[in-house]
Amino acid sequence: MFTQWLTLTISAIDKFTEHTGKLIAWLTLAMVLLSFAIVVLRYGFNLGWVAMQESVLYFHGMVFMLGAAYTLKADGHVRVDIFYHKFSLKQQALVNIFGGIFMLLPVCISIFIISFDYVMTSWRIMEQSAEAGGLPFVYINKSLILLLAVTLTLQGIAEICRNILRLNIGDANSIAGGQR
Amino acid sequence: KDQATASISAQPVKTFQWKLVTSWPKNFPGLGLGPEKFAQYVNEMSAGRLTIKVYGAGELVPGFEVFDAISQGTVQMGHSGAYYWKGKMPAAPIFSAIPFGMTATEFNAWLHYGGGLALWQELYKPFGVVPMAGGNSGAQFAGWFKKEINSIDDLKGLKMRIPGLGGEVLKRAGAIPVTLTGGEIFSSLQSGAIDASEWVGPYNDLAFGFYQAADYYYSSVWHETGTNLEFIINEKALNELPKDLQKIVEVAAKAVNEDMLDEYNARNNQALQTLINQHQVQVREFPKDVLVALKGYTQEVIAEQVAADPTFAKIWQSYSEFLQSMRQYNDLTLKAYFENR
Amino acid sequence: MEYLALLMFVVVCGVLLLGYPVALTLAGTALLFAGVGSVFGIFEPSFLNALPSRIYGVINNQTLLAVPLFVFMGAMLERSKIAENLLNAMSILLGRFRGGLGISVTLVGMLLAASTGIVGATVVTMGLLSLPTMLKRGYNPQFSTGIICATGTLGQIIPPSIALVLLGDVLSSAYQKAQLQMGLFNPETVSVGDLFAGAVIPGLVLVALYTTYCLLYAMFKPEQVPSLTQADINQIQQGRSKLSLMFSALVPPLLLILVVLGAILLGFATPTEAAGVGAMGATLLALYQGALSRENLTAVMDSTVKITAMVFLILIGASLFSLVFRGFGGEELVQGFFHQMPGGVIGATLVVMLVIFLLGFILDFIEITFVVVPIVAPILLAMGLDPIWLGIMIAINLQTSFLTPPFGFALFYLRGVADKSVKTSSIYRGVVPFIIIQLLLLLALAQWPRLVTWLPEMIYG
Ligand code: NA
Ligand code: NA
Repeated sequence: MFTQWLTLTISAIDKFTEHTGKLIAWLTLAMVLLSFAIVVLRYGFNLGWVAMQESVLYFHGMVFMLGAAYTLKADGHVRVDIFYHKFSLKQQALVNIFGGIFMLLPVCISIFIISFDYVMTSWRIMEQSAEAGGLPFVYINKSLILLLAVTLTLQGIAEICRNILRLNIGDANSIAGGQR
Repeated sequence: KDQATASISAQPVKTFQWKLVTSWPKNFPGLGLGPEKFAQYVNEMSAGRLTIKVYGAGELVPGFEVFDAISQGTVQMGHSGAYYWKGKMPAAPIFSAIPFGMTATEFNAWLHYGGGLALWQELYKPFGVVPMAGGNSGAQFAGWFKKEINSIDDLKGLKMRIPGLGGEVLKRAGAIPVTLTGGEIFSSLQSGAIDASEWVGPYNDLAFGFYQAADYYYSSVWHETGTNLEFIINEKALNELPKDLQKIVEVAAKAVNEDMLDEYNARNNQALQTLINQHQVQVREFPKDVLVALKGYTQEVIAEQVAADPTFAKIWQSYSEFLQSMRQYNDLTLKAYFENR
Repeated sequence: MEYLALLMFVVVCGVLLLGYPVALTLAGTALLFAGVGSVFGIFEPSFLNALPSRIYGVINNQTLLAVPLFVFMGAMLERSKIAENLLNAMSILLGRFRGGLGISVTLVGMLLAASTGIVGATVVTMGLLSLPTMLKRGYNPQFSTGIICATGTLGQIIPPSIALVLLGDVLSSAYQKAQLQMGLFNPETVSVGDLFAGAVIPGLVLVALYTTYCLLYAMFKPEQVPSLTQADINQIQQGRSKLSLMFSALVPPLLLILVVLGAILLGFATPTEAAGVGAMGATLLALYQGALSRENLTAVMDSTVKITAMVFLILIGASLFSLVFRGFGGEELVQGFFHQMPGGVIGATLVVMLVIFLLGFILDFIEITFVVVPIVAPILLAMGLDPIWLGIMIAINLQTSFLTPPFGFALFYLRGVADKSVKTSSIYRGVVPFIIIQLLLLLALAQWPRLVTWLPEMIYG
């Protein structure tokens, strides 16, 4: 029963993270195309817009703020694996469970609580770019801070659940993906 | 009577420790020395009852995040420039610099005797932030150019680092305003990634080494005619101070406001002579028709701002009326005197 | 209370060894200390309120925009087999000579390093591409793994390098801070471009030293590094003419490297702009070679997201860590330590270099750049060190650190992709000569700083 519930939670969160990650990935291509266009327009045609420069910066922010959870799911956040890679699967699962509970969750929840007013103030005044001709969506850009906290918390919960299952089953191969 | 004195002196003296964040590197010449002096004045005048620790840009919060830090109460006060908050309040740039606006003397007169300060306080009030004048850079140079500007056509396609409304005006003249962070300006100008950049005036510009990157230094004053800086204070923190400390803060700010302008005035020409004599910088002026065109674009830009934001319109009315009366008076007096002395 | 800052540093190093992701460990440990500190009234919790502003500062940092673009470029070159073709062409050219395959690996590693800057990715790529080939041709496993690890870390120093982009961002503010502290009213600036220019000569010297080592090795142990047979060469060549193979494999990436690096060094573009052009160029190159399938593009975008998110989450974690470190008064502590230290600037530099070298065992370049460099660099620079020289010394120092057993990152990466038959001990022994070469280079740079500072002065005056 408990196991079933865990598996359901994991697969639901995984699906969500996977989809956002795949979507976000296209922004990297958009960044490349846009920055190339900026260079060509500026050097070739003496044209330039602040809004265009800023949009690359916005995409950049989205890529790493929203991609962090996706990277966690893929176990892409670098670890010091001097000892970790020698640990047994059970020990590794324990590291991930305790790290998730005592590092990831407190950090994400704190970021969310501390940043909430900061972001809401920006929404209240519909904050715009400080540059003339810049993008008027600073409040959306600042919201990435809360979104990072939320998406990383979600995926963090999924990882904790996944590693609890690993403790029980003791067989890492039965659950695909995620932190190993 | 003796008993009363004894009981007062026996009470522990309540002390306050404040943090002050700035938008400039710590000890940055001119701008950055203002907050340092302020902290020192307050400390001495209050005999240590209010001590202020100054943090440079990025030490606690990035330079462009100063207003938020004060508003959120992260720190008690800051030192910055109002045009950085344009994204929050479109009218904010009026309290730092408007193209073809007032000189430092005129601005301080408007602020303290023309109703400017009340409008400024009203503007920041919703954020729980109290502004005070925090120094003035005086009239700023048009900037450093890698090529000469002989007609308005020379501005077409010119890639220039210039923030704020001045950038918007130049854009209408066909230039490409570029946003660059402080550290990128010099190398971009040097490498040719940009053709021109404004900064402050000779005193700061000499310090930044721009003369190594561009040959022509345009002295024409147009986009920042007397840039006002600001002390901004968290309203709650200010109200928690006893009345005498509040007064000390206010008076120290006023002292710095005057002191910074004095320093710029004293050092600018000294630095300009160094630039000309030691570094062979060529000082130039925009031709008259370029300035006339820029002024025309400025009026367009301001008209748009007035139409878009009622607060801007209200403050602009006070500002422009005061500027008008100042111009009448100065035309009659100083303008002729500058020619005659 | 300042000693809590030091304790926090020690504790975080310990916790990191457990292997939980670095970014979250840095942030989590700092938060824990801040919490305990607030309870006992020795940490002012309001410091933490600066966090959203600091994170938004990271989101808004224009200098670091070059990172995802360079990552994209590197991933594209790797994915579209441009690297593989390069290695094949090189081995046809040099394979006839004893040790020639080793030199090919060095040169391809250099070219890869000049097109991207991710050490892990280069070691893995080179390990996958060349280790099986070298072993199959009868190369000594110790020599093979050593040269692959060493050339794989060249991306650290040969521009454009992400390590140098990050370091440039940190050093420029440290340098300004140092000069203003010294009361210099004429502060000079240091940029990413300066560091790139400063790294060119040391990088080339390193490649020359590796090549020399290959030649000497071939001279003294010829049987350990046999030349390719004609059959081997025919197999690679697959009936194509040598010239066309060379041309199609070498010219496009060389052109790309020239454009990107030239644009930055000669000042046609900022590093961010050049990174955009490079990424686009790599994509067009892949398209031209018929390698721009939907699958490859997806894979490139995917690894760009993951590597970028990894780098910037560390930046955010390190930002929280340094905020708490500052809140405990840690900065004053470190400054005090260096000011009391005997031996002046040489002693201080030695200590910093040693500390960074040791930290390089457990921390990645990014963590050291964002956690350690901002603390120590202003102090060293205020003692009069040249910022470009310091940046290059730190970069090479860490490059060495990544190679040093038992804790080198490059060794882990290669272990991860090498065949089980290759013994870990032979990987460890194989890198020793290269560690010595790099230490010699560090000594040379300390003795002749002009090796670093000459080119930036020539280019930028
Ligand atoms: Na200016
Ligand atoms: Na590189």
